[in-house]
Amino acid sequence: MQAIAAETGGTVTTSKKAVFLNVSREKVPEACAKVAAMPGYYHLSTITALDLGDQIAVLYHFWKGKTFAVVKTLVPKTDARIPSITPAVPAAVFYEAEVKDLMGIFFDGNPYMKGRFVLPDEYPTDAPAPLRREADPAKIRKMLKLE
Amino acid sequence: MEYSAESAMPFGPVHPSLKEPEYFKLILEGEKIVQVMPRIGYVHRGIERAAQDRTWVKNVYLVERICGICSFSHSLGYTQGVENLTQFEIPKRARYLRTVVHELERIHSHLLWLGLIGHWAGFDTLFMWIWKDREHSLDLLEAITGNRVNKSYSTIGGVRKDLPDGMAEKLKTEAGFIEKRLNYYDGLMKSEETFAIRTKGMGRINQEVTRRLSTVGPLLRCTGIPRDIRVEDPYAAYDEVVPEVMTSNDGDIASLVSIRLNEARDSCRMIKEAVDKMPSGDFKVNIPRAIPAGESMFHVEAPRGELFYYVKSAGGSTPERVKIRTSTMANILTGVEMLKGHTLADVPVVLTGMDPCFGCMDRIAVLDVSKGKEWSIGGEALRRYGIDYYSKRGGNK
Amino acid sequence: MASFKSGLTAWARKRSIWVFHVNAASCNGCDIEILAALTPKYDAERLGVELVPSPRHADVLLVTGTMNPLMKDRLKTVYDQMPEPRLVVAIGACALGGGVMRDCYNAGHGIDTVIPVDLYIPGCPPNPEGIIYGILKLVTGIPDKPEEARQVVS
Repeated sequence: MQAIAAETGGTVTTSKKAVFLNVSREKVPEACAKVAAMPGYYHLSTITALDLGDQIAVLYHFWKGKTFAVVKTLVPKTDARIPSITPAVPAAVFYEAEVKDLMGIFFDGNPYMKGRFVLPDEYPTDAPAPLRREADPAKIRKMLKLE
Repeated sequence: MEYSAESAMPFGPVHPSLKEPEYFKLILEGEKIVQVMPRIGYVHRGIERAAQDRTWVKNVYLVERICGICSFSHSLGYTQGVENLTQFEIPKRARYLRTVVHELERIHSHLLWLGLIGHWAGFDTLFMWIWKDREHSLDLLEAITGNRVNKSYSTIGGVRKDLPDGMAEKLKTEAGFIEKRLNYYDGLMKSEETFAIRTKGMGRINQEVTRRLSTVGPLLRCTGIPRDIRVEDPYAAYDEVVPEVMTSNDGDIASLVSIRLNEARDSCRMIKEAVDKMPSGDFKVNIPRAIPAGESMFHVEAPRGELFYYVKSAGGSTPERVKIRTSTMANILTGVEMLKGHTLADVPVVLTGMDPCFGCMDRIAVLDVSKGKEWSIGGEALRRYGIDYYSKRGGNK
Repeated sequence: MASFKSGLTAWARKRSIWVFHVNAASCNGCDIEILAALTPKYDAERLGVELVPSPRHADVLLVTGTMNPLMKDRLKTVYDQMPEPRLVVAIGACALGGGVMRDCYNAGHGIDTVIPVDLYIPGCPPNPEGIIYGILKLVTGIPDKPEEARQVVS
């Protein structure tokens, strides 16, 4: 992991059962490809997005057989785009599509970026994504006419 | 995607049996399926957002209703994820009790699936008989936890109640009974020709597909990769009651049938072992309402595969973020790969083979590229079409 | 409008209820209890209840799940395809009023906001025995005008 950190200019932090690799968002595909290529079976568990206020943290969870190897990056809310990792890690297609629907982050290069993935088609494109802090479930219900 | 939105057809949401609604667009050339495009979201309810508004304990009730079939796995993943954020150690008896209920749920889920695959392949007798035997496991679950489905047994700190008196002996006798019945079904399914024709060689995948798409669960193990979260990352009492990892090298539906049957048999063995080894002691430890800040990742082996939970706390009485990745989400693309190259008649069996826990066959919309025709066909009609198709070829009688 | 209570047809209909099941964004818990009601231990089929593949053949519509925007139109379409006389049964807490998913942003407040419901079976999920009891109540108590018969079964 340290070697990958050196190559991609990131930092490594560890915690109970997980090793975090913090990189900048342009380096994410490279870092994920290298983590996936590490010896041992690679398995992408999922991709999580956390709303931290002005920024959104995106975590790519890889399971390496004994610990989680997590690639973490920060994305500003006003410019929420990340290059997609699907060329190197095809399993990420659906996870990125879900994050795009629920957090509003655009993944350049993912084939499922058009239209809605888990949300209903009626969900307006200018409304905030449902998992963001600004989104209010009551307002979403009114928008979708669910009362 | 070169196929335009107009050619997408819903693999409709309404199904005569159970299964949740989902959309699959099937694109045919002649008889063979060349492309499948899933559209999910029919059961999207906004649970991750709702989890942020409820207290830690209330979320157990919310989270286990994500799926009724593997509901205990959801509550187990959530409660253990939350317990990892605290400094408390879960008592051993609680871990053993969780193991027993977890394995009982695996038995009930695999029996459900085996019955359904019989139903879709035209073998309705198998469906009825297996579901009758499945009631034994549900009776046990009701006696231990109070409900057949949506058990709410696991709580933050342990389990909610202890085993009733006499339950330990009953568990062993019932587990033995289920094991005997499974042996019988094993022989039955192998000797039944028509069933074999519908399942052997169907939906073939190999290791290249599963590695590329990060498949989980029995679908992964049927290609020969022995990965099981209970063994790789033991939780509950799996470090002492060790499961046997069932694999196969064929990668088809018949191997999935035998893997799930063997896993159910192994669960019976583990229940008996867990009851024998169960220590006495507390079944719960009291954890204060405010969970310390931090983030934790936890995964469990649900009957369908790896179920992943990511829990983040900001130190309050409600979670800041709960991220759930269900096993079927990881397997849909693998299911799509399984369908390619098959005919319409095989669709029900192959799609059930990947054991979807959400969305599935309903009204299938089919686009025949060579003929330029579009038509839709209902789930039950498709099942009957499959049975007729095979009986014309000397299959089902 | 043809009613359930006119002579031979009514007698025949009451003993052979053909049901069609719709899952409107449910967790599957109620659905497997419906299926369990048809399997040998609880055996609703001895009462003449049969699951049919198309809404056009059905007398009774069984609905589970909260209403999801994607499922709303589908449910309405299925209901419209059913020939009269038709009855709707809402099964489970979610179909009644949203259940545990009540405040979720993508879940509705039950199905009676979309189609008229004749019988409610509460539970999360209701026992197969409860489902059979509900269907029996429907059969023995089917009135002349289904819209007036709102019953609650527990």
